Amino acid sequence: MNSNPLPVNSSRLGGCTLTGALSVTSRICDAATIVHGPKGCSHHNFSLLHATWLDNDEVLLPDLVSTGLTEQDIVFGGESALRTALDKAAGRDVKAVFVLSTCIVETIGDDVEAVCEQEYGIPVIHIPTAGFLGGTFQDGVNNALITLAGSADPCALINGVNIIGEMNLEYEVAENYAEIARLLGCLGLPVSLRFVHDIPFDRISRLGAAQLNLLRNPALVPVGQYLEERFGTPFIPSFPHGLSDTIAFLESVARCCGIDGHKAVERERALQTEMIAAFGDLHGSRATLGNTWPGLEGLVAAEELAGVLGISPNGGGEIRLPVSPAVGTAGLRRMLHRWRRAIHA
Amino acid sequence: MPECDNPLWPCAMTGAAACLAGFDGVAVIIHGSSGCYYYPTTLLHAPLHGTFILENEVIFGSEDRLREVIGGLAGTGKRIAVVTTCVPAILGEDIQSMLADFDVILVDSPGFSGDVETGYANALSRLGPQIDLSTEGVNIDGACLFDPFSCGNVQEILRLFTMASVPAGTIFCQDRLEKVYHTAPWTVSTNADFPSGTGNVLGGTLGFDAIRATFYKIGDHIEEADIDPVLRDVRQQEERVVRACDKYLQRYDPPAAAIFAGNSYALFAAEVLHRFLDAEICCIGTRNMPGASPFPVKRTDGISQVNELLKAYTPDLVIGSSFERVISKDIAFVGIIPPLRGTVRLSPTPLAGVNGTLFLIEQVLNACMDRKA
Repeated sequence: MNSNPLPVNSSRLGGCTLTGALSVTSRICDAATIVHGPKGCSHHNFSLLHATWLDNDEVLLPDLVSTGLTEQDIVFGGESALRTALDKAAGRDVKAVFVLSTCIVETIGDDVEAVCEQEYGIPVIHIPTAGFLGGTFQDGVNNALITLAGSADPCALINGVNIIGEMNLEYEVAENYAEIARLLGCLGLPVSLRFVHDIPFDRISRLGAAQLNLLRNPALVPVGQYLEERFGTPFIPSFPHGLSDTIAFLESVARCCGIDGHKAVERERALQTEMIAAFGDLHGSRATLGNTWPGLEGLVAAEELAGVLGISPNGGGEIRLPVSPAVGTAGLRRMLHRWRRAIHA
Repeated sequence: MPECDNPLWPCAMTGAAACLAGFDGVAVIIHGSSGCYYYPTTLLHAPLHGTFILENEVIFGSEDRLREVIGGLAGTGKRIAVVTTCVPAILGEDIQSMLADFDVILVDSPGFSGDVETGYANALSRLGPQIDLSTEGVNIDGACLFDPFSCGNVQEILRLFTMASVPAGTIFCQDRLEKVYHTAPWTVSTNADFPSGTGNVLGGTLGFDAIRATFYKIGDHIEEADIDPVLRDVRQQEERVVRACDKYLQRYDPPAAAIFAGNSYALFAAEVLHRFLDAEICCIGTRNMPGASPFPVKRTDGISQVNELLKAYTPDLVIGSSFERVISKDIAFVGIIPPLRGTVRLSPTPLAGVNGTLFLIEQVLNACMDRKA
């Protein structure tokens, strides 16, 4: 009797832990990451990171080192290859080395932690990953963030908000960050630390200084809870999606930081009204919201937007909703341009 | 194999998937984790299936899971091919016996067994192409979904075949599966790094000289072939290339080029640049094992090796992938191998055939002139 879950089971389709962790460690700009496994695992991720960075106009390459395990290493163990790679990486001009393992290394039972505990002259940080044996892509992200956070100590508070767990592989990561920075700016709050997006290793020490941690999405709640326990920093579980959610977000941030947000909320409502008026030509249109990907938050936000615009949700062409729900008012505006194309097609 | 900074070339599993997924009538299952599935899926732009195995299958065995996924594909009319990844390959399961009651092509091609070419060749040998002497025409080999120029290459060679009244045999690997078992006795190549090993090879199609030589042989062996239209086209287009390159050389010095590619494409680019632009070929870095070459060549499969060559030779033209484009910064760049990220490519473009050489030259001249301006 086969009791295995079907491929639709989310844990099967949850992606690779290694990729999740690499999406974090590769954004620490003065560190190297060792991928302990066959070269193919490193190449796959190197190529993926390269693609997403170029998509974001970042003409850089991630700094990955593969231990290049061969069939012989698989048979006799790969710890020696890891030591060699660590010696090489530690000899470079980097502030830290992260070590990530792969499925095959977990299967053959290399003691990665023991190899990493040896002295290499710079911090060597082992982040638990093991491809599918380590969980999902999101587990890799969370493990990496929590492990890195463990290297920071509590410190004095400053005026500012940390952004936690930006989705570094998404196409519009820069635009989403810009929108969040704008919304926080409306409340007079600067971004303290992008944990982790293009920061030097030693900036992690300031992780505990923010008034508030803003998580990219609710899947990061375990990270938010860890940071709250370690530093006492409260968190908001997600970037805002939708008209009313963006307003609620401003109110929540203001409340958490103990500031008066009424004027910022009024200005944002006015901005949203102006945006809706600019898409007044869509009023009375018919369209079907394609809901293959966006999840409940994205669908709720889209239905609210369609209702405000007077778009009938039955019939008409299909509006494809984005994989990641649009962030803030600016994200909705960009989405509405795509809706206009679909409705007028 | 030593450690490697930023490995530049995909693994054998990807190569096997690229081979098999090129055939209409094959349903390819990647037997491994979701991570191993997603990369070839995004790279090859082909429908692949996966077992997406989890820890319990590693501990208790993957047979049930594999049979479940195969069962889901039964009735589609497609031949099922299973490609094993690293972890299933070392679990010690006898997958062949497990699947004895299914008509399945099993390709044991874990990532640690080699590079993309190894997996491609392994998968092709498992398919077992067979020559059918009653099949007319000439096979085309070297097509690989991994290669962004593959589709353009095939279209271009089919165009030349049409001009020469030569029927196409089997296209490796971009054809209907049943044609693998009825291949023509003759073959031409579009990319010698991905040979089919099937039929007598009449030659390659990279560069005007190769096209000419190959079509002369086609004329010798294929009775109904009329190669004159192809030879005329080669002559006319070669003249256009000569004029364009001479015009460039009236104003500019020849480029000093560093070329990074698979051995076959790298030598093609070097010969074209040397011949038409009198370019200095500073160095060739091949992703795979280099072959005989009149130019300096060494294997470069990590980004640090590419960096070393670029620092040593300071070329003013770099040919390679978008990896090289990133580290070349302001140097003129032309992309001929994957990945070619950060640029929108929608139309099929060849490197092989007459139009392939035209494409390469126009890209090189435009890139060089843009930098001179």
